[in-house]
Amino acid sequence: MTRTMRMLTVGIMISVLFVVVGVVWLSNSAETLDHVAEHIGASESPVWNPPIPDYEMPGLEGNVVANIAVGLVFMLVTLGATFTVGKCLRSKRRV
Amino acid sequence: MHIPDGFLDLSICAIMYGVTGVFWIFAFRKAGRVLSDRQVPLMATLTAMFFAAQMMNYPIIGGTTAHLLGGPILAITLGPYAGLISMTIILLIQALLFGDGGITTFGANVWNMGVVGVFVPYLVYLLALRAMKSRSGLFIGAFAGALVGDVLSAIFAGLELGLSTLSFPYSVSIAVMAMATHHVIIGIGEGAVTAIILSVLQKTRPDLLQLPKLSPNWLSGSQQ
Repeated sequence: MTRTMRMLTVGIMISVLFVVVGVVWLSNSAETLDHVAEHIGASESPVWNPPIPDYEMPGLEGNVVANIAVGLVFMLVTLGATFTVGKCLRSKRRV
Repeated sequence: MHIPDGFLDLSICAIMYGVTGVFWIFAFRKAGRVLSDRQVPLMATLTAMFFAAQMMNYPIIGGTTAHLLGGPILAITLGPYAGLISMTIILLIQALLFGDGGITTFGANVWNMGVVGVFVPYLVYLLALRAMKSRSGLFIGAFAGALVGDVLSAIFAGLELGLSTLSFPYSVSIAVMAMATHHVIIGIGEGAVTAIILSVLQKTRPDLLQLPKLSPNWLSGSQQ
């Protein structure tokens, strides 16, 4: 296994751990800004309906397995998106 | 820290898109010239890791929670421009797919977490390295940089909220105080995690800390 592949593997394993711990134990409280907003009565006015609001699949809210799956899939999407952006920026120089 | 749609006045949103846009232009231009085959996999791995890390909301005070931002480690390993690009990707995915942070407030969120939360830690880290010239300077710089970066990000978020007089019914001082107080605690956590990750990287893959940095010339000049 090359050093790059090993780094990718370790990174993905740590990310999986973050997702599982995040969904199972550390997911259900308000962030500081939400808390402040709730306190003063400020409300959101969304201009866009996200397909997976609050990291939960519609119809599967509260389902831990579905939430872990969402986290893992989009962690891999983030990995792929960054890799693609990086490669595109890199290839611009070769042209 | 992710400001949703409706919390900021549209004029503030426009200004924040403008100032962040300047940094985007410089970051993507520099990345197009400097990014190497060795940096791309590391950038992708760290971006995915901090996307996942932002799903972990740990409890702090007053019934609120916090999560790691990841900007300091991204900046220290890859440079602040790479950190900005990574944070932009994370925040874009969060806003578009999960509604975590708004569309109108996207520029402000990238400014707070992707510009202030990345450039400030990097600057503090470099200053500490230069002042101490030792291994402890590395960790003190990483810790202090992450702490100061987190608090300043929160202060900027508070300023944007406080100046949005049409959308947010409280003054600048109240908004800044509310955000900054909590983020001192969050910053201590971010600082500790940043120093620990840096320590692990230095022991296991010191070569990753020696990669060329994607940073403005005035900053990269001071590092080498």
